[in-house]
Amino acid sequence: MNRIVRTNLFDITGLILLAAAFSLLTLKLDVGDILPSSFLNLNTIFLSILIEAFPFVLIGVLIAGVIQIFVTEEHIQRWIPQSRTKAIIMSCVVGALFPACECGIVPIVRRLVSKGVPLYAAIGFMLTGPLINPIVIASTYMAFGNNAAIAGWRMGLGFAVALMVAFLVSFFFRGHQFKQALVTTQTIPVARKKEPFTKRFFSMLTHSIDEFFDMAKFLIFGAFLAAAVQTYMPAKSLLEAGDGPFSSIAVMMGLAYVLSLCSEADAFIGSSFNSIFPTPSVLAFLIFGPMIDLKNTLMMLSVFRAKFVFSVLFFVATTVFLSIVLVQSFL
Amino acid sequence: MVFQAQQAVRAAILLFFTVLIFKFHYTGEITKFINPKYIGLSQIASVLFLILFFIQITRIWEKKVHHHDHECSHNHGCDHNHDHGNTPMTLKKVISYVIIAFPLITGFALPAKVLDSSIAEKKGGMAVITGKSEKASSNESTNEEEEVQPSDTEVLPNPYGEITQEEMNSLVQKLKQSDPIVMDDYVYYLNYEEISKDVSSYKGKEITLKGFVYKEEGFQTDQLVISRFLITHCVADASIIGFLTQFDEAATLEKDTWVEATGVLDVTTYNGMEMPFIKITDWKTIEEPSKPYLFPLNVRIL
Repeated sequence: MNRIVRTNLFDITGLILLAAAFSLLTLKLDVGDILPSSFLNLNTIFLSILIEAFPFVLIGVLIAGVIQIFVTEEHIQRWIPQSRTKAIIMSCVVGALFPACECGIVPIVRRLVSKGVPLYAAIGFMLTGPLINPIVIASTYMAFGNNAAIAGWRMGLGFAVALMVAFLVSFFFRGHQFKQALVTTQTIPVARKKEPFTKRFFSMLTHSIDEFFDMAKFLIFGAFLAAAVQTYMPAKSLLEAGDGPFSSIAVMMGLAYVLSLCSEADAFIGSSFNSIFPTPSVLAFLIFGPMIDLKNTLMMLSVFRAKFVFSVLFFVATTVFLSIVLVQSFL
Repeated sequence: MVFQAQQAVRAAILLFFTVLIFKFHYTGEITKFINPKYIGLSQIASVLFLILFFIQITRIWEKKVHHHDHECSHNHGCDHNHDHGNTPMTLKKVISYVIIAFPLITGFALPAKVLDSSIAEKKGGMAVITGKSEKASSNESTNEEEEVQPSDTEVLPNPYGEITQEEMNSLVQKLKQSDPIVMDDYVYYLNYEEISKDVSSYKGKEITLKGFVYKEEGFQTDQLVISRFLITHCVADASIIGFLTQFDEAATLEKDTWVEATGVLDVTTYNGMEMPFIKITDWKTIEEPSKPYLFPLNVRIL
């Protein structure tokens, strides 16, 4: 009896929600005239960033769910090399082979760290994941007039920067660096072989949902900030700021940070600046943006301690800047 | 049976995201947000939201309040450290649900807007447009050698699909031979790049194009830019492209008016940079097209 009530309850709640959702389809508010058109521009850009990011975020939280339920600490210990250097190199290579997007990678990194992957290895993976993958290589190649040099530099230098940052993290940080609030009761792992697959699969999906809600607020807030910057900050003032060879690198990195573009789409924007700024600065834009940006920083802040997040940001920014300065003469 | 309000809110949010994306596809507004190439991907997102919704509704009615340790004991080793939506509602949580619901509200209530000239200005405007041709002319020589025999095979426009390098070369070849040049949306960006690369060889040719009016300080009264936005992935990465044009009535045209114009290509310098320039002979205002954005051609590399 109880069971019948229970199933019916699901149906009823589901139906009410569905009805509410479909009634929204017909909703048409005439607020368009009240709001300034710049806000409508902002809103369109904001929603488009979200629509673009959602598939990657959802795939990211699903992978995170799979890691949470199906990967054990023992697996991780077997897979990750004991030596720090080897672990870092491996993580960067795995990241390079893994076609991720920076929106989807934070939940994956979080799961990996909580499963016992060393923090430095997880960071190496996080930095190369979105930067080095076939789609990014292809779009960079096309955006720069089918010129392989920029795409090559982007991948090569990006990989070197990721390695360096991972080493820096390994020197300066121990442990998982999770936010205090997130560190809850640790209990003894239960043998999960006994659980039937369907049950584990179901709990994988519920985990993914919780992960999505953890990330979504930061993603949405970040997307809104990025859209606001695009709508209200004139690029011209930036262009004037970036006059010298060094300041132009800094300006382009700042731009990459605040715009929070998807690594698969930033190449054309980068190439449109190729004329205004020297090539090294554009390269800095292309390397820095996918590694860390405003949206991504906020998502990291949902997981890691602020001190750690800003240290990583600082490491990435200085390494990218210095390596661009170093290779400038070859470009 | 305990009704879990937070779980219900989460279920509703998941469902509303499904419906919001569905709505954009159904009404066709989706092309105002993303490059149609990625439509499939966002449909996947919509389906995933729906699946997660169906999983989530099973959590709305719990036999009893779900405790952390309870879940750990029967589900899996508990090294997880996130919110399951069972802990009591706090102000912090209310704020985070409001943030998550915000795009749903604006998405359902506000119309999708086609980016206008104010965004073009924020994106750098003329500095980007002139820069494009300056950069292009500097590496002109590298592309000169790729002289390809004109092929007889007509390239079938395969919107959003990939084309091969040969197909692209034959499109370029077609452009070089055509007079007048008609800037179809499909080849607009390709033609634009080619013309900017080598302005002088297109000088004197007739060109027909459409776009919206963009003006900036420093223009003469009879000048305006007929411009378009190029979208790689989503409108956040829109970049502005356009041709500087000149005709007597330019002063009377408001920003953001869509025009279709025919004119003769010429070369001019703007802020010391050489760039293409069109002397308009014939023009008319048009309605904003249903597909206002341009998308780059996808050339298969491998």
